[in-house]
Amino acid sequence: MGARPGRAQRSRLVLIAAIVIALAALPFVYSDAYLLKVLSFVGINVIIVAGLSLLFGYAGQVSLGHAAFYGIGAYTSGVLAVRFGWPWIACVAAAVVVSAIGGLILAVPTLRLKGHYLAMATLAFGQIAYVAFVEAKGITGGIDGLSGIPSPSLGPLELRSAESNYLLVWFFVGVALLLAGNIVALRPGRALRALHASEAGAQACGIDVVRTKVQVFVVSASLAGLAGSLFAHLVGFISPSSFTLVLSIELVAMVVLGGMGSLAGAALGAVVLTLIPNLDAVVPGMSPRAVELLQDWNADIFGVILIVVMLFMPGGLAAGAGRLAGWVRRRRPAPSEAEA
Amino acid sequence: MLRVCDLEAGYGHVRVLKGVSIEVAAGEAVTLIGANGAGKSTLLKVLAGLLPAWDGCVELEGKNITGMRAHKRVREGLVLVPEGRMLFASMSVEDNLRLGAYSRGGKEAASEFGQDRATVYELFPVLGRRATQTAATLSGGEQQMLAIGRALMARPRLLLLDEPSLGLAPKVVTEIFSALQELRRRGLTILLVEQDARVALRHADRGYVVRTGEVALAGTAAELMDNDDVRLIYLGAWHGRD
Repeated sequence: MGARPGRAQRSRLVLIAAIVIALAALPFVYSDAYLLKVLSFVGINVIIVAGLSLLFGYAGQVSLGHAAFYGIGAYTSGVLAVRFGWPWIACVAAAVVVSAIGGLILAVPTLRLKGHYLAMATLAFGQIAYVAFVEAKGITGGIDGLSGIPSPSLGPLELRSAESNYLLVWFFVGVALLLAGNIVALRPGRALRALHASEAGAQACGIDVVRTKVQVFVVSASLAGLAGSLFAHLVGFISPSSFTLVLSIELVAMVVLGGMGSLAGAALGAVVLTLIPNLDAVVPGMSPRAVELLQDWNADIFGVILIVVMLFMPGGLAAGAGRLAGWVRRRRPAPSEAEA
Repeated sequence: MLRVCDLEAGYGHVRVLKGVSIEVAAGEAVTLIGANGAGKSTLLKVLAGLLPAWDGCVELEGKNITGMRAHKRVREGLVLVPEGRMLFASMSVEDNLRLGAYSRGGKEAASEFGQDRATVYELFPVLGRRATQTAATLSGGEQQMLAIGRALMARPRLLLLDEPSLGLAPKVVTEIFSALQELRRRGLTILLVEQDARVALRHADRGYVVRTGEVALAGTAAELMDNDDVRLIYLGAWHGRD
């Protein structure tokens, strides 16, 4: 017999439903192309961060090379579409598979590494991938990049408009969050958390540590590859400068800002940090000078936000939001007996 | 139940175990005593699959498990309570116990979880009172109880315990060993590594003295307690019998 959902669970379901409806309705009520484009990039980052949150936030496996998987997905999709004329959906599938293989290639030799050593190894992987994107000119177009990547299309239906791209990206955001959410809520999620808390303890509990690490690397890389593919087809042009170490660090910052071990928090971190340099998209009437300042000082603003969050909300935005919700609940008058 | 023959293992190029052979029968409590660095914990690590055997064999109920990986051994019923407890510090007592049952998976295990948890809380009532507390906030003794409780959630056939009394007050040690006695009465087979030889031998049926990676002496607990070498070196009885 299924248990009836509790009040907190019901509130959460209502919140999720409200967010989904608001996101889906947005292009129909406010179809500003710039806003929708920025929100599409927000969605792409949420997909990558959903995977990184599993790997880093839940399993505690640091990755400073996630831009590489994002790039592998983007180049796989772009090259197959431009040079071989593959249909969009096949390019997406190939991007996910090739990135997953990339995750497997990185996971196996780094199984024994932890903490800083793993961070260094993943950083090196990211740099190797970056150099490969630059040097494999015949395939990737080198530093000049790869242009002419077609928009997403399903048969005769070409998704060119900002509205359709936005809806497509956020559909995949939903898929990614659903997948990651299920992983976290079920048995594999317990294994990830155990791995993070104590690898030796996890082994003592009969958790297959090797398999768990490899699986989470592969899932995380696949999601980054999916995001890369979406990015390539949305922008139509990719170059190595989109897949640098700086991006990898920003992605880690999004997870930390949102909250380690919280999928919703990581998604929130991605939303906040992606919106900062594009704040004019959501704040109408911002002066061009203010936008320029935000973009010029982007990295510094990231740094200050991270320091403030670490000092005052060590659990990230998710923990901060949880504390705020608790405070609101405590201030709310208790229901009377008749109501109860 | 457990047969270990000519087991060799070590770290890097250093050979720590130099042909250890021991046996543990079903329902028995067997202890390994020895000085620091003798190889007792290394032996438990090899038995739990956390360290590969270089040579020799490990058999559990006649089945060769020498090359079997750690998580599969837990499923076979060979469960280790590691030295230093290795709890999930940021998780609650309840979540630690839930993870202890991880290897049993499936619907049947889910329905048995409540029953197994009740058994653990009956054995260590303090854990029941601290069910929602994080493991990090427990005292050392309570943490050791949780480490044993977590291992019991896997329904072990053979429980390996590595230094359960380490760093604990005598009163707490007594409490933990009386719980182990209770488990023995219920038929659980125990292999115990313990530096406090007096406590270990008092609670075991048989024992092995491990010295520089080899079994130097074997016998019943009473025989070992009566042995002059054991008394002199491990029980601290310098002047005749006490």
